[in-house]
Amino acid sequence: MAASLIRGSNLKTAFHRSQQASVLLGQQSSGRSLSQLSILSREGSDDFDALEKLFFSCIQSTDDESALLCLERLTRRFGSSNERVMALRGLYDEATAESAASLELSLKRYDDILSHDPVNLPILKRRIALLRSLSKTSDAISSLLQVLNATPTDVEAWCELAELYQSQGMSPQAVFSLEEALLIVPYAWNVHARLGEIIYIYARSLDGEAMFKQLQLSIRHFCRSVELCDDYLRGFYGLALATSPSLVNEASELAAGKETLLSLHALARRKLEQTLSAENSRQAHLRQYDESELSMVENLLSGL
Amino acid sequence: MALQGLEQTILRDPALFYWILIPITVVMILTGMLRHYATVLMNTPPKPASTLAESRERLTLLRAVNLRNHASAVLSKESFEMRKNYLVTGFQNGAFLKDPNNRGQPPANPMTDPAAMEGMMGMMKGNMMMMIPQTLIMSWINAFFSGFVILKLPFPLTIRFKSMLQSGVMTRDLDVRWVSSLSWYFLNLFGLQGVFGFILGSDNAANHMAQQMGPMNPAAGANPFQPGQDPHKMYLNEAENLEVFEHFCILDGIEERVLRKYGAGEA
Repeated sequence: MAASLIRGSNLKTAFHRSQQASVLLGQQSSGRSLSQLSILSREGSDDFDALEKLFFSCIQSTDDESALLCLERLTRRFGSSNERVMALRGLYDEATAESAASLELSLKRYDDILSHDPVNLPILKRRIALLRSLSKTSDAISSLLQVLNATPTDVEAWCELAELYQSQGMSPQAVFSLEEALLIVPYAWNVHARLGEIIYIYARSLDGEAMFKQLQLSIRHFCRSVELCDDYLRGFYGLALATSPSLVNEASELAAGKETLLSLHALARRKLEQTLSAENSRQAHLRQYDESELSMVENLLSGL
Repeated sequence: MALQGLEQTILRDPALFYWILIPITVVMILTGMLRHYATVLMNTPPKPASTLAESRERLTLLRAVNLRNHASAVLSKESFEMRKNYLVTGFQNGAFLKDPNNRGQPPANPMTDPAAMEGMMGMMKGNMMMMIPQTLIMSWINAFFSGFVILKLPFPLTIRFKSMLQSGVMTRDLDVRWVSSLSWYFLNLFGLQGVFGFILGSDNAANHMAQQMGPMNPAAGANPFQPGQDPHKMYLNEAENLEVFEHFCILDGIEERVLRKYGAGEA
């Protein structure tokens, strides 16, 4: 639910950014001779970082021509055998693929590359993403497990694995993966909130004693996320959902005590209402949150 | 020794200033910059793992360290115990090793292992970058500029500084405030750090300290094992650390903490 919201707002910024692509690219090509002269300048690496981000934005907003320009410039600098450039090239091919057959071709190309160089991580990840978009989820999971076996300190991969498991309805496994991710980045409040969400979904599928145990855990993770990040909307949303009185009153016994949970619920409600009224009083372009996010909050508040 | 209360005066040719003091300073700055760029050019990044098994061998150790450092912030008791048991068993029976059959054997001689050789070559190159220019410049200064008294400090110093400030000038009675050319070289050698930081940025390779600290803190993704170290021993070590780790969970009582935090904000 909330994940799709966040993706939506990202798309908007991506579109804004890629609209400036032609301007940025034009600037860079005229300034290129200058930057080549100053090889010694230390800012060089930032430029290419920005270029890579611009590439992603262009791909997202289907501005394939600008994306190709970015890609060519990166290839010219780092060579086509650079691992990251290879992955970007693959991403471009996937994005411009016309049919399922050409996607299969991409997959074969990745397998080829990997048979020469089995630790090419960017390509390994690209291959998993491609498997996922070809809806071969179980293949994607098993290859991702292989990758994680070799690189158990990769946050991105653990998070991806959690989403894959969750999409298959395997909540306990998803919880495990997110916990692994959190062990690497223990202060990531968004991951805490996501973990809380997954545990909540899992808890709702159980009943009785087991459900309240999971619910408790989920509430704790939401609490942690709002403790780490002041006024974190998603954390409070989850907190209000997980501590809703209809659930809490059913419980026979909870470690934290019913009163605490109910006052947490009141707190979360108050925070959500504050955010809503503050956002609604602002002008549209000054708002921090999307229209859809705010309407979700409104729905939640009226439904509870 | 200098007479107390009597100002020593030495008539210095102003040319000393232009032809010794300034050249030494300029040369020192230029060699520092040259060394920085030479190090950047010759620097070989640490070699990434060439197989998945090797990468696992390296990173699993980091995973255990992460677990130990962050478990209290994330995990409940059960999930911590589960992970601990998994890692400890794996460490003890060598499941994470690149080739479990070699466990317990003495480590290969680093001289015969090409990967270890390469690491050593890298270190050697770094050391050479420091040694060679310093020797050259030092002998150059010694040959051309030794024996000059080139400047006078504007403040008095105790006699102990004599050996530091007047190397190369063998006079017993000269006031400590006079600085010889060779000493000026040494002062530059150790005192230009700030200038290099200004010209080249703070993480420059002209810096002695950075040179010495370099191998101590490997970048992320680098090999946690030094050449010649036996991974299995490191694993056993880490397994022991995990065994004695006392777990507590900061999620305990977080509900009250959050209430207090936001409650205080409201009131």
